[in-house]
This record gives sequence, C-alpha cells and structure tokens, in this order.
Amino acid sequence: MDHIETGRYGESLAERYFFGKGWTILGRNVRVRGGEIDLVAMDGEEMVVVEVRTRSIGKTLPAEESVGPRKLRVLVRSGRILAEKCGWTGPWRIDLLGIDLAYDGSPEFHYLPDITAGRPWY
Amino acid sequence: MRPVLGVTLKGIEAVPIEIEVEITGGLFAISVVGLPDTAVKEARERVRAALRSNGILLRGRIALNLAPADLPKVGSLLDLPMAVGLAAESGAVPVGKPAIFLGELAMDGRLRSTKGAVAAALLARRNGLPLYLPPQNAPEASLVKGVEIYAAPDLASLLAHLKGERPLPPFAEPLPEEGEPPAEPDLCDIKGQAAAKRALEIAAAGHHNILLVGSPGSGKTMLARALRGILPPLTDEERLETMLVRSTLGVRTNPGRSRPYRVVHHTASTIALCGGGASLKPGEISLAHRGVLFLDEFAEFHRDLLEALRQPLEDGTITVSRASGSVTYPARVLLVCACNPCPCGYLGDPQEPCRCAPHVLERYRNRLSGPILDRIDLHVPVPRLTPEELVCLEGRQGQPSAEVRKDVLAARQAQEERWGAEGLHSNAEIPERLVRTGIRLSRDVRPFLAQSARNLRLSGRGISRVLKVARTVADLRGNDLVTVEDLCEALAYRGGGTAGDVA
Repeated sequence: MDHIETGRYGESLAERYFFGKGWTILGRNVRVRGGEIDLVAMDGEEMVVVEVRTRSIGKTLPAEESVGPRKLRVLVRSGRILAEKCGWTGPWRIDLLGIDLAYDGSPEFHYLPDITAGRPWY
Repeated sequence: MRPVLGVTLKGIEAVPIEIEVEITGGLFAISVVGLPDTAVKEARERVRAALRSNGILLRGRIALNLAPADLPKVGSLLDLPMAVGLAAESGAVPVGKPAIFLGELAMDGRLRSTKGAVAAALLARRNGLPLYLPPQNAPEASLVKGVEIYAAPDLASLLAHLKGERPLPPFAEPLPEEGEPPAEPDLCDIKGQAAAKRALEIAAAGHHNILLVGSPGSGKTMLARALRGILPPLTDEERLETMLVRSTLGVRTNPGRSRPYRVVHHTASTIALCGGGASLKPGEISLAHRGVLFLDEFAEFHRDLLEALRQPLEDGTITVSRASGSVTYPARVLLVCACNPCPCGYLGDPQEPCRCAPHVLERYRNRLSGPILDRIDLHVPVPRLTPEELVCLEGRQGQPSAEVRKDVLAARQAQEERWGAEGLHSNAEIPERLVRTGIRLSRDVRPFLAQSARNLRLSGRGISRVLKVARTVADLRGNDLVTVEDLCEALAYRGGGTAGDVA
C-alpha cells in the first residue's frame, strides 16, 4: 500500500467515522483554487472542513502532528473560497482527524475539533 | 443605552463603556475594536475559554466594539462585560435591563478581582444601574451606599442569575469593623520627648504637617511611627475617598477605618510620589490621602521632588497632566518629615560637637527651600536624651497612645461639627476666607498676633497656618474661643525657616 492508497483508505475511514457521529457528508476531495479539501460535512447548523491525516505503521510521529502553520493557512484559505463558491453564509470551522493504522490495518482515531479556535485569524 | 456596560478608568473616575457585539458566519475569529490595550485584546482568549467552560460555544466571526471608540480602554476589568455581551448575542441569556459588569475572568469561568470597583460603584449610583462584580471587590464597592450590588463568584452563577434560574442575593454583608489600631510603638514607651509627643497630638488632631529635626538616634522615626496609634479613625466619607484611590490601583486592602500611612524612601521618583506614568497612576501622595505621608531623611530627597509637593500640600489635590490627558487625584495628606539638623547630624547637640564646615551647613539648608518649610506647621526639635535618661528603668512616660487618641478624637469631632457644613474635616483644610472670619479669637489675640508676626517675620500664609494650629490647640483644650495661650503654643512650633534654626 503506497502513501496515496493509505490516504484514500484513511479518507473512507473518516467518512464512516463522521457518518457515525451523525454528520451529513457533503463531499470528498473537493478541489478549490490553491488546494484540496479532504472532507466537507455538516455538523448540525455548522459547515465543517475536515483535514484527514493518515499514517501507516512504523511512523514515529502521530498523524495529526504533520499539520503545521503553512497547511493551516492553506486550509483557512480553501475553506473561505469554498464557502464563497457555494454561497454559505453561516458559521464554519476546520476539524482535523488523525488516523494511525496498526499492522493489521485497524485504525486509531485522533479527532481534533475546531483547530483554528483561539488563534489569531489567518 | 445598550444593556451590557463595562467601565474603564480615567484617573479615579469610571467611564461607561458600551459593549456592542456582532456575530456573522465564517471561520471562528474574535476581533476587538475601540482602542483596546493588550490586556483588553487578550481578553478574547479568556472570554472564549470561560464561555466554553459554561457550555457556550462561540461560532463564526465575532466583532466586539467598545464604545466610545476614541477612548483608550485599559485593563482586564472588561472581561466580564465582554463575556456577558457575547452570551447575550449568541442567545444563551436573555437581554435584560441595563447593568454594569466588572471583573476579570479565569479560563474556567471564575471571577478574579479587579481594580476600579469603587469608581464603578459611584458610576452605577449616578446612573441608577445595578453592578455585578467579583466577590473580592464587593466589600469595597458596598462603601458606596444606594447601589444594587451583586457579587458573582463565577460566570455560571451570573448567567444563571441573568436567566432568572438562580437569582443572586444583593450584596448586603456588613463590613468587618476593626478594633483599635496597633500602637506600635506606644507613645508612653518612648522615653522623654514630651514636646514632640505634644506636637504629634496636635498634628493628629488638626491634620497639620510636622517636621521632626534631631540628631541620629534621637527617636524621630519612632515618634513618626507612633503617630499611627493616635490618629482618629476615618469617617465614612473619608473612607470612601481613600478606598477610591486604592481601588483604582488595585491595592488589595480591606476597607478598614485606619488611616493610610505611607513611608516613602528618598530614592523615590517624582512620578512615584506625585502620580503619572504612561498609564496615569496615582502616586504615594494620593495613596496617603486622609492619612500620613512620611518622608524620612527629608533633606536627602531630590529638591525638585520636594518642590513638586508644594502645590498639593496647599490645595489637597494634585493634577497630573500628560499627553494622554490630565487627571486630578486627591492629595490631602498629613506630611511627616524627619531630618538631621546638619550633614554630620550633631548641630546643637549638647554632648557631641558638630563637625560641619559653614559652607556645608549652608548647602544643607539650601536643600530645604523656604516655600516647603513654610507649609509645615509644626517644626519640632527632637533632642538626644542624656545617658541617664536613656537607661532609667521607669517604663512608661506620659500618656499611653489610647488615651491621647481619645483626646484627638474629641478634637476632631469638634472640628467636624464646626466645618462639616463647609465640607471640611479638619482645621488644616480651612480655606483662606474662613481663616479670617470662621476662627473665633478672644479679644487680646489680634494685637498679640500682629506683634508676633512682626517679630517672627511671618508671611501671610504663615499667619493663617499659625491660626489654624492655634484653632487645633484650642480644640484639644475643648475651647470654642482661641486664646493667647493657644496662639503662644502654636507660635512655639513655628520654625524660623531652616532646619538648622530649629535645633
């Protein structure tokens, strides 16, 4: 399984994970100018832009720690473009789902909601 | 007027701040506008965390406007109104009638004490609004009568109150009455110095400034400390005035009745003494308002610092003007100064010879200017005691502090009765127009005063000050009329003008 397949696998795991939380999944791998959004969903009245990070076995760092400030800026910009494009005027946020895969392919989820809250705006 | 009001401090006055909130869609962000300082800007993190810990999750893009927009907002006391404004805008609490909120928030929603509670209570009284604040600040704010005060320990109980679920009781705890001030040292523990003790009694009774001049080790500092034990307690009005200054600095003190006693070291800067600085804070002279400002080693202070005291000593207020604005602080102090008669310290001492050269003495005298000495009513020599007097085993000498304090209190009450209608508390405050008309003199005093003024070359202010001291002496005696004896005693404390002449 190469890293692209790992990513695909993680995204489908994520879709199931959020579906289980009662969210409505709006789209996967949504392309916008300057970036791609892994998962777009509705959590009640709020739109959520989800970044999914999957790590296979043998990696030392947890998956979610690979999102740095540069990726955050890209996510914020992509989210804004998306909201504008589909005419969404309500609140929205950015969530991060880290998935660590064990040897047998069983996932371990690390869900971090609203990762930009409490930061100065980008 | 919007329902959620905060305050910011301008000098010792609280200015109402309206909190305007707008929440729109978008990625979560809080922006604060309306000239916030760093503490106010950082409030958004505390507010967000505190609301979150109460189950209120903020969503979308939030703009907070603090009106009036052109007035700089300072300090953490705007945390609470910002949180309440956000809770109201996001629909967590209903919008009620206008109220003033004051307090710093902890991340978990507890309220922390802030400065400015007394000023906010005065503002609430002027506008007839209820006041919500942290429980630590409630006692000082309750000094202001006629204000509906609610002490909320945390944001949760405040929000429950605003929703009408769990109403808070209005704060009505009685203030703890404290006992007698500690007389440490007690006047009767100080050996000898009967004249100085008497002068202290007069200073305490009439709030007159006093200068103690004596050789090293003669007991000047001890006498000055003993003054604390004989000062009368603060009246309600005076207590409010002192707490107003202290609360604007956030000095944590219980609103007791003992008078302020501030000791200033001679390395102090003019700003530390008079107030000012980038954010305009009251200085030591304002913290000592209605109490004692003690300047030990008076002659070692920078000259410009002493000269800066001239105007506040006369007016009882100090106006600090800076680029950011000018504010007036109260500064009615009882100035206690102590100094040596000369640099070597032994000028006029019966045993030790003075080693100072004449030009050194001259320079030392020049350091204390005439105008500042003219404002000190009581110039008191504190001679060194002889070895026999020092080692004598007889413990107590003279009246104990508690008894002296009773006399002082009686004299102060006579003054309150006489001048209360004018809004004055003590003889030292009598304005010029009342000195000539309000102080009743016995018939032979006037010619005697004219003669003495000529002999002692008293200035116009000097005559007024002597009359005020004489008024206090008469009050201590229980006389309504100032007699020649009272005047004689007052004149005896009037120094010739320089420190050296006193000793």
